[in-house]
Amino acid sequence: MNHRHLLPDEIDLLLDEEVGFGVGPLRAHIQDCEACRARLDEARVVVDALEDLPHFAPSYAFSNQVMAQVPVFVPWHAAAREWIQQWVPRSVAARAVMVALATTAASVVTLAILWIATDTDLLVAMSAGVGGRMRELVVQAGHAMIATLFGEQVFAAVRHAGTAGIALAIIVILGTLGGSLAGLRALAVASARKGD
Amino acid sequence: MPTATALDLLNLPDADVVALAQRGRDSAYRELIRRYERPVFSLIYRMVRDRELAEDLAQDTFVKVLNHIDRYRPEFKFSSWLFKIANNVAIDHLRRRQVDTISLDGSPHATTADAVQATSFEVADQQESALDELEARELGSAIENAIGRLRPEYRSCIMLRHVEGRSYEEIAATLDLPLGTVKTYIHRARHELRSALEHLRDGAPGPLGDDE
Repeated sequence: MNHRHLLPDEIDLLLDEEVGFGVGPLRAHIQDCEACRARLDEARVVVDALEDLPHFAPSYAFSNQVMAQVPVFVPWHAAAREWIQQWVPRSVAARAVMVALATTAASVVTLAILWIATDTDLLVAMSAGVGGRMRELVVQAGHAMIATLFGEQVFAAVRHAGTAGIALAIIVILGTLGGSLAGLRALAVASARKGD
Repeated sequence: MPTATALDLLNLPDADVVALAQRGRDSAYRELIRRYERPVFSLIYRMVRDRELAEDLAQDTFVKVLNHIDRYRPEFKFSSWLFKIANNVAIDHLRRRQVDTISLDGSPHATTADAVQATSFEVADQQESALDELEARELGSAIENAIGRLRPEYRSCIMLRHVEGRSYEEIAATLDLPLGTVKTYIHRARHELRSALEHLRDGAPGPLGDDE
């Protein structure tokens, strides 16, 4: 039988209420050894005093002072999502109507694209002699888009300007799309700030 | 879409609140401050032993963490990251300057009795008798003094272990120390605190500089 007193590390194991294979004999020793029990009790007084220590409170303005130094950044995609979500109706019935309308609109757009593609024989052009046919098809598709958006006169002007004109038209369209996205972002960020 | 109300935030785990903060929710930032302002301030206050300084350093801690909230990784505990920054801020300050102010009374800026009580070194008054309460206060003051005399590394470890209730593994991860080193520091801190409190056990007033 081991008659030695507990080592400091073993006292720590008991203080930390460790469980495990080696702890049983330590507990048994504590039951029998008054000196080690006294050392454990002294150590426990310190630990109890530490665990009773309170948390201190900073000043009442602490939170505001921190926030004054923290610029809250809204990622554009999070702001855009929240802006869009505020237009989504809350009731189930209204959402069902919105889904139905969106499905109808998507179907119409899909049919329109298919019609243009079929009408311009895109599939045929891809399988035989793409080069010149593609150019012709792109012009036709461009005509349909530009004429729809801006009118025949604009298309005629662009066509007259040649490749440069088409390139300029594409730039204008992309710029419009980019501007729309930027505007959407700005609206979303403004809406998020207003909400907070 | 329903917005995250203050009540919703109260019930969310830290990782979810951080996710909301990463999406730009002002209320989520404030909730994180509300949850941890006391523990962080307490840790730093006991490290640097000066209330105004501790408040400045605690603010620095939160500003650093919240300004880099996008770097938080959910596989780690937010509190561990926060305490790591707090500890580093306090240790860096102690290395640059010698702080020797020990303040046991309430904040000099406190203007009401409630504010004084909230900001002073006091032990919880849940004892059954006046004598017990007196002994508890004496022990509480003595242990605060004794903590102030520990090495900063020991101080961080012992407070994270027993005031914040962290496991050895969490402390090791928070302070970037080997597990064995954390156990050694805590063991030594307990020993030094026990020595510093011996005068209470013996019933005699002990000098503050009584080391074994």
